[in-house]
Amino acid sequence: MKVSDLASMDQFICMQNEYEDREITAGYTSDLLSDVMGNAEEGSVLITIQAHKNTVAVSSLAGIAAIIICNNRPLPEDMLAASADEGIAVFQTSENQFNTSALIAQHLGGCSAV
Amino acid sequence: MNFRADFHIHSCLSPCASLEMSPSAIVQQAKTVGLTAVSLSDHNSTFNLPAFGKICEQEGMACLYGIEVTSLEEAHILCLFDQLDAAMELGGLIYDSLPDIPNIPEKFGDQPIINEREEILGFAEKFLISASRFDVSSLVQEVHALGGLIVPAHIDRSMFGLIAQLGFLPDEDFDAVELTAYGDPALALHYPIMRNSDSHHLNTLGKAYTDFEVETLNVKNLRSNLWKK
Repeated sequence: MKVSDLASMDQFICMQNEYEDREITAGYTSDLLSDVMGNAEEGSVLITIQAHKNTVAVSSLAGIAAIIICNNRPLPEDMLAASADEGIAVFQTSENQFNTSALIAQHLGGCSAV
Repeated sequence: MNFRADFHIHSCLSPCASLEMSPSAIVQQAKTVGLTAVSLSDHNSTFNLPAFGKICEQEGMACLYGIEVTSLEEAHILCLFDQLDAAMELGGLIYDSLPDIPNIPEKFGDQPIINEREEILGFAEKFLISASRFDVSSLVQEVHALGGLIVPAHIDRSMFGLIAQLGFLPDEDFDAVELTAYGDPALALHYPIMRNSDSHHLNTLGKAYTDFEVETLNVKNLRSNLWKK
């Protein structure tokens, strides 16, 4: 799936649409950004509640394709500005991290652990 | 004048701290271990600062007024003031921004608010270990607007330090970064280093400290001293 496919899904609101429409090859769910930095696969969509500009900095370093902010956490302006600079899409959803992860896994062709 | 300072000390208000940590016990112990300046910095609250200020004045102990804020990133950030009212103002903003999750004393410990005679005035209702709504960038602005110093706490720890939470030290207008007693100074990058004990019990007071050579202990002098080191 591509980043633009997320934009067409009902659950996700695209908050910043100046992004590179990359292929999403995996997902990573974490609220500890040092863990994201160490363990997220390049090309992942990051599922998190960490709504601040440093999430964008970590995503850029880790090669994250898009960020989904769960539980309708508010997104600060400086986060959106940073993500526009980095060309990384940011979505907001009312779903929690578990449901969002399950949904993304379906679209990626199932869970790779089984 | 040389000050031997430990600016990161919790009182009994912090649920994780010992109930023996009254302002007067802290100041007595500080004197015993040779500290000449202290700050009280409870988690996300400043309710015990007025009592602390009175005790320091009575005992002739130089002090700053502090708070250890849990940022939106869930990183611990030490904020230090030389004016009680500025610290109280930040304390109010931070406490109000905490989620409405009550403390459960049986599970987490009591959060008593006390006066200078160690009489219990009440208890902080919200669970003080929750995260505030201030991200690091907005906290830097708020603290500087109120005339304080902002210092990411224990950045060398594996939990709740800014590096542990983010994976890196962001480029912000920090006045210093805090290391524990033996933390690696290389982690501090270009920022000045402050070492404090982060005491939750009396017996660890002064186990880490920083020496400052300043005329008087205030934010302005400390800031210039930190960057001179």
